Amino acid sequence: MTEKEHKHIFEIWLKQYKGVIFKVVRAYAFNIMDQEDLFQEIVIQVWHSVPAFRQESAVTTWIYRIALNIAIKWVRKERKHNQTQTLDQTNISESVLLESNPKTDDRLDWLYEQISRLDAIDRSLALLLLDDFSYKEMAGIVGITESNVGVRINRIKKQLITKVKNDYGL
Amino acid sequence: MDFNEMKTIWNLQNNQPLYSINEQALYERIQQKKQQAFHITQISELLLIIVNLGCGCFIASINKSSISLYLLAAWMLVSGLYILISRIRRIQGNKRFDRSIQGDMEHALSVATYQVHISILGRWNIVPIGILVLFSLLESDKPIWIAVVLFIFLALVHYATGWEHTLYKTRKRELETLQNQLKTNTPSDIQTH
Repeated sequence: MTEKEHKHIFEIWLKQYKGVIFKVVRAYAFNIMDQEDLFQEIVIQVWHSVPAFRQESAVTTWIYRIALNIAIKWVRKERKHNQTQTLDQTNISESVLLESNPKTDDRLDWLYEQISRLDAIDRSLALLLLDDFSYKEMAGIVGITESNVGVRINRIKKQLITKVKNDYGL
Repeated sequence: MDFNEMKTIWNLQNNQPLYSINEQALYERIQQKKQQAFHITQISELLLIIVNLGCGCFIASINKSSISLYLLAAWMLVSGLYILISRIRRIQGNKRFDRSIQGDMEHALSVATYQVHISILGRWNIVPIGILVLFSLLESDKPIWIAVVLFIFLALVHYATGWEHTLYKTRKRELETLQNQLKTNTPSDIQTH
């Protein structure tokens, strides 16, 4: 693959699947600086992954796998180095990413809040479930067995339904 | 609200931009990375020029008869001159870029690319220099352990410069990421402050 092809594919992916990356970012990082940091890490890893893509899975699945892996690692790293700041961050007062806030549905914010309360693996499964991935695909992306996926998904669904009843009285 | 309704709410965001790009902050980030790249490049260039030309002159002046040392001096002088010419070309090339955000980005990227090029040159330059130094040691009647120690030292330097080269490549990739953020945001997505 030439440098030009590499760049071209990367630009197309970023344009088409930015939404997937943003969903993962929003589920794993909770302030704008962290979201930006995680976004950058995922995008860099997506760049690295372009030559390795063999079209054995859909690009969405591929991007999701990368984004979730990076997000889970990032959460662990952040826990360890909670106080550390990179040179880039210390001198920059403003973030490159801005939340658009085009009158988002309160229920969507609520949903993200519930997802953020799950552990790292369940959080990944919740995102994949809401984006209509099959149990088989989820197992492949997260690296657990299909039956384990099923058990966890049932538990997640029950938790969400219970929370809806408590918070919305439905 | 049942689970299907949750899915419907979830899918609503697919048509909404969650984030926009703060162009002013992006511009500051590019400027900062450009300055970093400039600073590192200047230091690397000057060090390589001074070390190569200095050592080349010194070896040529003290050498009495060793062919390997003459070759080593010549190699180092040529390397130093090559980097000096590259530096002059780089500085002259700075005028090519306009002062727009895209121009600054391209400028920063060209410096980062140059830095990657210089670092790989510096890394592989250790090989001929090392070979010539080892030959000159073998030509003289120095004990073999000195050559072994020197070989280990040069191998370590080669490894360290590889690590440095990776660091520059990462920096370049960060800039490419920023560039793609610029490219993939249509004007309607971009918010200036």
